[in-house]
Amino acid sequence: MKQLGSLLLAEIIKEHRHSFHSKMIYFSLLVWPVINFVTAYYSFAPFRMGADSPLARFISYEQLPLFLLTGYLGYIFYWCLVQSSWQMSFERQAGTMEMIFISPVNRFAFLYGRSLSSLIEGVWLFFCFALLALFFVDGIQLSGWWAPPLAFLILLVSAIVWGGFLCVLFLFSRDASFLYTVLDEPMLIFSGVRLPPMAFPVWAKVISFCFPLTYALQLIRELLMEGASLQAMLPSMGLLAAVLLVLVTATVVLLRQAEKHMKKTGNMVMY
Amino acid sequence: MFHVAKATFIRNTRVMIRAYPWSFVIGHIFSGVYTVLFAFFAYHYVFAGQLDENFAHFTDSSDYLSYAILGGAFYAFAVSTLMNVSRSLITELREGTLEAVLLTPSLRRGYFLGNVAQQLMRTLFEFSVIVFVGALFGLTLSHTNVWSAVLVWILSTGAFFCQALVLGSLMLWFRDTYITQNTLFAVMAFVSGVTFPIPYLPEWLQPLGLIMPLAPALDAFRQCVIQGAPLHAVSPQLFHMAALSLVYLVIGVWGIRKMEKRVMESIFG
Repeated sequence: MKQLGSLLLAEIIKEHRHSFHSKMIYFSLLVWPVINFVTAYYSFAPFRMGADSPLARFISYEQLPLFLLTGYLGYIFYWCLVQSSWQMSFERQAGTMEMIFISPVNRFAFLYGRSLSSLIEGVWLFFCFALLALFFVDGIQLSGWWAPPLAFLILLVSAIVWGGFLCVLFLFSRDASFLYTVLDEPMLIFSGVRLPPMAFPVWAKVISFCFPLTYALQLIRELLMEGASLQAMLPSMGLLAAVLLVLVTATVVLLRQAEKHMKKTGNMVMY
Repeated sequence: MFHVAKATFIRNTRVMIRAYPWSFVIGHIFSGVYTVLFAFFAYHYVFAGQLDENFAHFTDSSDYLSYAILGGAFYAFAVSTLMNVSRSLITELREGTLEAVLLTPSLRRGYFLGNVAQQLMRTLFEFSVIVFVGALFGLTLSHTNVWSAVLVWILSTGAFFCQALVLGSLMLWFRDTYITQNTLFAVMAFVSGVTFPIPYLPEWLQPLGLIMPLAPALDAFRQCVIQGAPLHAVSPQLFHMAALSLVYLVIGVWGIRKMEKRVMESIFG
């Protein structure tokens, strides 16, 4: 256990040194998320707003900024991990992937350490922005004092599991930037970041249920916007837990497959 | 010059087919298609087709879907052109071929012309796919003034090319593509009227749109497609675009020369 902890820490320190060598990182940490959030907010400007807007069937007009803010906060958590997994290909380019897999390091410590590191470093700045912004928007209805920490925990755990799963997917191919496009933007549309999934037609709802972010966002909005009690949230929590369990199982199976595949084809360092 | 352009064109096409199969092309198409989907969902399912009354006033049309879909398609086209041209030199640097390019007595104009021609082929394909998908989701093309639209599209390529020269120099300066390009793209999407008309922005932000060639290009293209406007009707936008292109061209050519020298001294010196 101690060894696992030190491996996790080592991976976190490595990733920190790798990404914080330049001040430019603050652009992806704060500037892009804030610009994207504001763009998303203005994208609603061409539509009829107000109390009698059709939007009120799903969310009240006053809660729209809060809806988008929670949506983007969740999305940034997940996006950091998509980005970090995509950067897994740099390990290959740099020739360090082989070293990691030759060493007796626990593969899961490596995978989840990578996720945890990029997550914490990726979200803290936007998280502060979101906290500050929450003070200025209307419509907050907390379930209790414990709602914000619980919301944070839900995002943290679900995003790390998602990140580990993505890292494994990116182990399979050398040109995996394509997966980045396939997994990143659909999440933005279908997971309910900008639009409520309840409004979608059935086929789009089916896609939205494939992303764990959909379940996580639903829980977070219940916690922060609807003031739902813990008991009322049990079904949603059970659903999220089940989805995460499936993802962890898939990660374990795929990681073994990927390592076997790389050993067989010898393309661990081939780029 | 044309020999160099032709050689660059053939080489880049081979690289695209053999080394980086499709990832950028598919990426750009997808991001355009997602904008189409967002507009479609928001318009039909969330807002039940009800628009703000100022929208028609700002755009001279109440066809939101065509407005947003063309915005998404044209934005993907701008991003694609900017990326392909501006990244060309830094990609040579990364792949280790910049030295060879700089050593040959080839004209830089020809090199960039070849790059533009090659990427024109790609962007045309991407743009057509997005417009085709857009047509399935509610883009109306029946009023299009085809020749004006095509001409605006070609002129826009020129404008984006000039902007890409400036972006390319900045990339060489920072030795980075990821942060530089994505920051510009995020700002472009926000201030150029891609998914909503510029007058909705606060007044102090609106001038930012004026320095992006995407804003007048998109405005002119929308008028040609949605309202079937002839070319002379969009001449103010075309002049705006030409003026911006000239400024970017002057800065870009100066910047690229300066950066080439800097790279030569710092890397190969």
